[in-house]
Amino acid sequence: MSGCGSASGPKEKDNGSSSTKLVVWDWKSGDATAASYVQKAKADFAKKHPDTTVEFVAQPFDQYYTLLGAAIQSGKGPDVMLFNGGGQIRDRVDSLVALDEFVGEDRQRLAGWDAFSKDGKTYAAPVTLQGHPIYYNKALYTKAGLNPDNPPTTWADFLANCAAIAKVGAKCFAQGNKEGIAIQFFMSGLGSGILTPQEYDDWIAGKRNWQSPNVKRLFELWKEVNDAGLNTDGANSTAMFNDAFGMFEAGKAAHMIGLMSDIGHWKDFNEFLKPENVGVMIAPVVTTGATPSLPYDGGIGYGVAKWTKDPKLAADLVRSLTSTDALAAFYADAGAIASDTTIDVSKAGAAVSTIVADLKSGKPALHVALSSKTIDLMGRLSQQLLSGSVTVDNALKQLAASDKPA
Amino acid sequence: MSNTISRPSVRRAAAGRAGAGLRGERLAPYVLVAPAILVIVGLRLWPLLLGVNFSFTGDGERDGASVGLDNYADLFRDPLFQTALRNVGLLVLLLPIAVAIPGLLATFIYLRVPGHRFFRSVYFFPAVLSPVIVGAIFNLLLAFDGPVNAVLGSVGLGPIDWLGDPHVAMFAVVGVHVWATFGMALVVFLAGFATLDGALLDAARVDGASLPQTIWHVIIPGLSRTIQFVFVTTMIGMLTSMFGLLYVMTSGGPEGSTYLPEYYIWIQQGQMNRPALASAASTVLFVIMLVVGLLQLSLLRRAVKES
Repeated sequence: MSGCGSASGPKEKDNGSSSTKLVVWDWKSGDATAASYVQKAKADFAKKHPDTTVEFVAQPFDQYYTLLGAAIQSGKGPDVMLFNGGGQIRDRVDSLVALDEFVGEDRQRLAGWDAFSKDGKTYAAPVTLQGHPIYYNKALYTKAGLNPDNPPTTWADFLANCAAIAKVGAKCFAQGNKEGIAIQFFMSGLGSGILTPQEYDDWIAGKRNWQSPNVKRLFELWKEVNDAGLNTDGANSTAMFNDAFGMFEAGKAAHMIGLMSDIGHWKDFNEFLKPENVGVMIAPVVTTGATPSLPYDGGIGYGVAKWTKDPKLAADLVRSLTSTDALAAFYADAGAIASDTTIDVSKAGAAVSTIVADLKSGKPALHVALSSKTIDLMGRLSQQLLSGSVTVDNALKQLAASDKPA
Repeated sequence: MSNTISRPSVRRAAAGRAGAGLRGERLAPYVLVAPAILVIVGLRLWPLLLGVNFSFTGDGERDGASVGLDNYADLFRDPLFQTALRNVGLLVLLLPIAVAIPGLLATFIYLRVPGHRFFRSVYFFPAVLSPVIVGAIFNLLLAFDGPVNAVLGSVGLGPIDWLGDPHVAMFAVVGVHVWATFGMALVVFLAGFATLDGALLDAARVDGASLPQTIWHVIIPGLSRTIQFVFVTTMIGMLTSMFGLLYVMTSGGPEGSTYLPEYYIWIQQGQMNRPALASAASTVLFVIMLVVGLLQLSLLRRAVKES
């Protein structure tokens, strides 16, 4: 009974694609907001390859990786497929074609390649960017007598602003940690103001020192902020999605470490707070020597399956899916920050302009570099830190142990 | 032809036919049961064995390789799985309360408290709601700034972080589960009351028994088989159908305090991409259910013998 077979199926692959037809799997093409994006990408590809038909198959997102896993195991999956950046694609690079020789021309125009790379090779081209800007409510700043166009740049100034905001009946941070994910946003949103640039780069490169004073400071700050009553009440029982975002949108808190695309982003906030009240700031400096930057990675991107008959043809389709025209349509309709840095975003409001301007100096987000095992543990430890049932030192010890390769 | 056959040969032929008939009769039950057996073996036992087999293989880089008992060692070292097992123990401890509530309410309805018809339908109503809806409703009610804490605040108590305090959250979720499911047990109790001898109650009344005395000395002994049945079904319900409520109300948090084995299996398989470890956890849950089920069956048998 022991040890034969595997829980995730066989590894054999065969060729299931057609040379005159390319099949694309994603979870976006079924959305109304992505219709013109898909149309523009298809038109661009049809110009270059009129004999090839392209079929988009939209899968439900909550089942996507399960279905893709089954397709990969059978070797009969799509030719081109959509991935989230980070772990989801890195776990599956064995089934993908390295795209470096095909996408050279797009290197400069698109941002966010790192999230789709492993061991120096690129496995997908980025469509959107995902990151964690600190949004603030300019109306609350004005109400508290603060200058809404001059957000704080140091932690001391930030705390002074929070004190003024408390006087007008609002909290400093909209926070929800029921799922344990708030600390991921906190870590990436404020991390560049805490770690030195060298520590930051080392962290992303996998050289993480969990016992360093600045890493310790990050976790101490997470606890201090809550203990000082700067978070909205009951963070551990409030869901980040969508309750905590709802609190920010309702003006119950002045700051929110949010997202750049999909949900909890500038477009959602614009709708509730009005575009002129949605501000974006870079992390305030908490420790000397830190150089704050916008934390962001590639959001979603298209890759090419190893079993496709003509990898160059499929890579051309990926290039069409990341063409400026197509991405401009995606940005305009879906509200996502597209990976193309040449798109004109001046009409979307000040928040987007600030985010796009910060992309050049931005760096990958700290939490995205962690394994899902460490992320899961960090979520539970963050709840224990807030309730006081674990010390920062103990939490760091557990995280350091979990961050080692098994 | 028949004229040429002697009498003994007719007897032999008859005996042969009877023998074939007997064999047919002997085989018939097996043939009739075979489709059901095949379905059970193919769709229940075989997947179960596959699951147990997978639990001895590795995840990730060791995918498919035999790892012996490593997954089980990992499982019992994992504090999260230990919490999940402790919570199973907590459910067993809370079981008498989960049975006593519908039992007492059914008693009041049976004794015709004013408005008993109204209460009967109201008590059953939550049983028709999906756990997801129930969870969403109680998420709103039990929110830190929600109405329950507002009421507590108005009388100078609280606020209590119902779903954010690790010492409270499991009790809150179990409480909601009991609220949502006791309607079914109530119906079973009412059916049990229908078989209760009214003369015994009248006799107790004539003898001047108080309500607690009536419940203790007449109703509980009279309903012993019903009570045993409700115990079994409530325990199974608690161990196997709290996933939806946990998922919606606490996501296993805070601090992992509301994990049950079922939730742990889902997280390991779906979120952590560790199907072999999840198979090991499933096997452990299967063994727990088997032990709990067999214990309850033996208790039930003993109770029936006594009654």
